[in-house]
Amino acid sequence: MIFVNKKILALIPLLLINVFSQNSKQQQYEYAYNLYVQEKFFDAITELKRLQFFDKENTFSFQTNLLIGKCYKKGAKFDDAVKYFTLAEINAKNDSEYFESQILNARTNILRRANKQSERILNKLLDDSRFIFKTREIKYWAGWNFMFSNQWQKAYQIFSEAGLDTTLANLCKSVDDKLYSEKFAKYSSYLIPGFGQFYTGEYISGVLSLGWNILFGYLTINSFVEERAFDGIIIGNLLWLRFYSGNIQNAEKFVIQKNLQLSNNALEYLQKNFSGEKP
Amino acid sequence: MNIFNFKKIASLKRMLFFFMGIFLQIVSISSTSLCQQINFHSPQNIKSFADFLFCDKDYLRAIYEYEKYLSFIDDDTIQFKIAISYSSINDQIDAVEKFKTIKITSPLYEESKIELLKSLYLLNVNSQYFTYADEIIESKSRYSINAEKIKNTSRLLLNHELPDKQIFLFPFDENEKKTLSNFYDRKTNPSYKSGIIAGILSTIIPGAGKIYTKDYSDGITAFLLTGLFTYLAYTNFEHNHSERAWIFTAAGVGFYTGNIYGSIASAQIFNAKINFEFDEGVKLFLQEKNYFTPVYDFCK
Repeated sequence: MIFVNKKILALIPLLLINVFSQNSKQQQYEYAYNLYVQEKFFDAITELKRLQFFDKENTFSFQTNLLIGKCYKKGAKFDDAVKYFTLAEINAKNDSEYFESQILNARTNILRRANKQSERILNKLLDDSRFIFKTREIKYWAGWNFMFSNQWQKAYQIFSEAGLDTTLANLCKSVDDKLYSEKFAKYSSYLIPGFGQFYTGEYISGVLSLGWNILFGYLTINSFVEERAFDGIIIGNLLWLRFYSGNIQNAEKFVIQKNLQLSNNALEYLQKNFSGEKP
Repeated sequence: MNIFNFKKIASLKRMLFFFMGIFLQIVSISSTSLCQQINFHSPQNIKSFADFLFCDKDYLRAIYEYEKYLSFIDDDTIQFKIAISYSSINDQIDAVEKFKTIKITSPLYEESKIELLKSLYLLNVNSQYFTYADEIIESKSRYSINAEKIKNTSRLLLNHELPDKQIFLFPFDENEKKTLSNFYDRKTNPSYKSGIIAGILSTIIPGAGKIYTKDYSDGITAFLLTGLFTYLAYTNFEHNHSERAWIFTAAGVGFYTGNIYGSIASAQIFNAKINFEFDEGVKLFLQEKNYFTPVYDFCK
């Protein structure tokens, strides 16, 4: 009986030493977490780095790296945030921690417009059988990723799939309906100069483009009709073709500008008015 | 009876040892566990953490931690490290202030002087910088030669006359001499292009001025366009299309005069580019040489 007790007695100090040391690290983590809650991100990172420095057993590696990443994300230092979320992922001890770090990594990549990177992470999670029950959440962020990469049609499809988020689905649908077609603007301008500009609502530019093309087209054709071939070639090359190709480029430029404006307006609306979870 | 008493005493003795064991364990547990409680903010731990941050190049946090440590213990090396940290994050004003606090008795006093010189150079306060450089050179201290090197190199960035080449190159070693000799020659004989020559050339042959300033594509375009409009004007006059002829004449004259003006501007741009590339080269050289400051083994 006493022999057994001796064994237990030998274990007690070791356990207690560990518990006490863990307590101080836990306290340090809580202190850093409070700083994070108070939005004192610089100080929070300092305290988390301090904990990492003294945590020789790497007990808090996941938590500290994840929280440092969150601090950087809140401070819009997305590159640093991604670095620490990746470190958190390396130190994840279970599936849940791995998933959390990966999702945060994907969300940060959405914000820094590294959409390919985000898509790669989310697709990897979708293919992972361990996270089948998290499919809705992964798809939700995939939808946000499409919105940030101006793929509103795809975003609409993913949000409307099994009623993932009807508010976002409706918004994506309305943005997608308003978007201008780059191909239509381009090819219609090939047929009627200035049409692409009319299509995007740039009427003055459209009228000017049409006017210049009619004028120089007339002068070029007239030169050939009057058998002044050299004049015709010069006017045609230096003036008419210049305005004709400029008209097509202009139409494309307007479509890109207008679409970007529509996308940015929609994202700004989401930032200010959407109450659901955002990247 | 005696045997019974003897057994009882032995059992009591075992009990006594057992409880004494527990007592000793409690004492040792409480003492060791107190030791195991990490005091994150003890001066030694603050310093260790600050050193880690410093070597991790997280200089701003390192400064805060070192300052905390200094509130417990005064240490010249730490003051020096703070100054180096400020200098590394390009806060040269605070770096200068900190370097000035290094005492003459400190083993890093000489280093602080050459680092201060570097900070003054980066602050771009020329008068103070050159006076201080001369002070270090004249003191014949450990880093006098370094001060002379940084002073001579930075003189290349000013528009003042340089000393004789041999005197200029004297403090540098053989490898450095090659680079500095090239810089010296480029400074004293810059390959500038004359705006007047460019203008005259373009007056004689449109576009020639631009070719002289190595702006080949613009030169050829100017030559072709001026030639084309001149030809068009000429043929239209010849065929009595006077309206069109005058339009082409105006266009031709526009191109011709514009090209002369453009050639003069091109020469000025060429010269500005030469100056810019030279200054950037000198600055890069200084940066690569770490402004001739010593290498420290703080992070070994």
